[in-house]
Amino acid sequence: MQLDSALLTGVLFGTATWLILQGSFVRILFGFILLSHAVNLLVLTMSGEPSGKQAPLATESGPWVDPLPQAMILTAIVISFGVTAYLVGLLYRLFLDHGTTHAGSLYAGDSTEHEKTK
Amino acid sequence: MNLVALPILLTLSTALTTLVWRRPSTARRGFVLGSVVAQLGVATWLVFASWTKGPLVMLMGNWGVPWGIVFVIDLFSAIMLWLAAVTVLAGLLYGFYELPVRLEHPLRLPLLQFLAFGIHASFCTGDLFNLFVAFEVMLIASYALLTLEADNWDIKQAFPYVAINLVGSTLFLGAVGLVYGFLGTLNFADLSERADSLAGDPRLTMLGTLLLMVFGIKAGLFPLYYWLPHSYPTLPTPLAAIYSGMLTKVGIYAMVRLLGTVWPHERTLLHEGLAWVSGFTMLVAVIGAISRNYIRGILSFHILSQVAFMTLAVGFFTPWGVTAAIFYIMHHIIVKSSLFLIGGVGACLNRTDDLARMGGLWRVAPGLGVLFLCQALSLAGLPPLSGFWGKYLIVVEGLRLREYVLVGASVVASLLTLFSMIKIWMAAFWTEPSHSVVHAEDPRWRPMTRVVGAMTVLSLGIGLGAEGAVQLAARAAQGVFNREAYRQAVMSARGKEVFHFGPAQEETARRMRPEHASSGQLGAKGGARSPGDFQSEGHRIVGASGREPACRTLDKGT
Repeated sequence: MQLDSALLTGVLFGTATWLILQGSFVRILFGFILLSHAVNLLVLTMSGEPSGKQAPLATESGPWVDPLPQAMILTAIVISFGVTAYLVGLLYRLFLDHGTTHAGSLYAGDSTEHEKTK
Repeated sequence: MNLVALPILLTLSTALTTLVWRRPSTARRGFVLGSVVAQLGVATWLVFASWTKGPLVMLMGNWGVPWGIVFVIDLFSAIMLWLAAVTVLAGLLYGFYELPVRLEHPLRLPLLQFLAFGIHASFCTGDLFNLFVAFEVMLIASYALLTLEADNWDIKQAFPYVAINLVGSTLFLGAVGLVYGFLGTLNFADLSERADSLAGDPRLTMLGTLLLMVFGIKAGLFPLYYWLPHSYPTLPTPLAAIYSGMLTKVGIYAMVRLLGTVWPHERTLLHEGLAWVSGFTMLVAVIGAISRNYIRGILSFHILSQVAFMTLAVGFFTPWGVTAAIFYIMHHIIVKSSLFLIGGVGACLNRTDDLARMGGLWRVAPGLGVLFLCQALSLAGLPPLSGFWGKYLIVVEGLRLREYVLVGASVVASLLTLFSMIKIWMAAFWTEPSHSVVHAEDPRWRPMTRVVGAMTVLSLGIGLGAEGAVQLAARAAQGVFNREAYRQAVMSARGKEVFHFGPAQEETARRMRPEHASSGQLGAKGGARSPGDFQSEGHRIVGASGREPACRTLDKGT
């Protein structure tokens, strides 16, 4: 079980990294979603080998699965959900403003100078 | 009531109240101002209290120590809280003068308070997972503020900021998980004890590298800094001042906390690497600043090179090194945010902060020029201003450690900083090109300058009263280094025992006693822990009666 999780985490991390390194912001978004899954799985794995263990209830007799990583993941899922929603909103705004979400065309012709006057 | 909770409660309640109180009005502004002044008062009190009493501890919900959530404020945290409150206060006042009520975005103040909440919580927390949560609160508020009033040029710059910080946060969570898997706890005090027994283990160095990388992203260190100088200039001036003052410094705070309080104290590859990365960042960033031709861009790059001074001092990792880092943080937060504000006043007078189109400010606003000179020369490190003492401490410590290359890099970076500052001075204040117009009739710039003036007085105070400030920093560094006292303070905090619910849980408690614990149901974190760890875990688990003391013996041999 631990080995399976480790392999799956590795595959997810690899795919996420590949997606994040793409030029398209939509792919970066998907890369981020995969990355947060990979990390959640990693944290879940840290509660140890689950076979032969009980749910951590006071009525059950041990040995129990360590519940703390699951509590952490729960928090992390809420956070990454919120951030993903924000990122989708930001991406939509970018698309409305510029008609593209590809880094190559979005930043094409940008000088380093800030042209705006305040 | 335990006052440790106040910095968090005040910011959170203000944020929620202003969120409900939607319409911007003078009364709403007054309310937020009052709250921030109260935060400043509480922070001042905390500095005094932690100076006299040592670390202050609060147990969330009164749960016993390694189990429950714990908030700890030592002198270093209290100083950071105080600086955060000052920066927010200055930004807030400046913002009030800059923007009339009717033009204020209804969400700016609530988001600013959420940002302050995240910053305060990062300084108060006593465990790694809550540090992650606090970072997230801070970052999400900062994303929202960054894009709140952005136009379509700004929004392009926001995406890289959000993207790299998201990756950083995700890695942080991964690192937290690995630390838990490896050491079996997330509480700083508890972690430090377990990490000590594993000192020299390469896995510890790996985890430390991962965490430092995460904090390095937040602080803007060399390979991962590119988001900062592009996104900060898009912010409105008062927010840019708060961001530049506080956000990167939260990363530095976390580094000092990690290396000083949690990780074993031997100087390893980790510290060495941090010092060299800092040396490199300094040079790259200061050269980047030369390439910019507008004030906010120049200042944004200088944040990076200044941050690198602090991390260099942390990388030296001697008591004096950390003292220098803390002193430098104190100096830098005030100076950098007031420089951003001065740039804002200049932009208000010239209607631009493009150096090619600015000019003639000296004739209209000599006071502003003097303030700029004080802060800019302090940034570059000229005596007797505050920046000089910070750099002096760092250079002396570097020479003592025979790190001549790094010392050389810091001296070159300082010289180039001076060059950039003179560039701003010459273009904005000294020259009088025919095409630049100074809008001296704008009524806003005088009160805005007064805010900057107050900040400058503060930083002059740090510079001229360097003796006192260095003593404060030294005491704070001592607190960071004195892990025994930190552990003692945290572990001796009395709370409810975890398995002391009532008779129904007697059985539970019996099962959790040492003999069971060592059979592995608690120690399900894999084989990576040292054999001695289960024993120490047994120590901590108290019987249902809760008669055993919550604090453990601290002199566990390694």
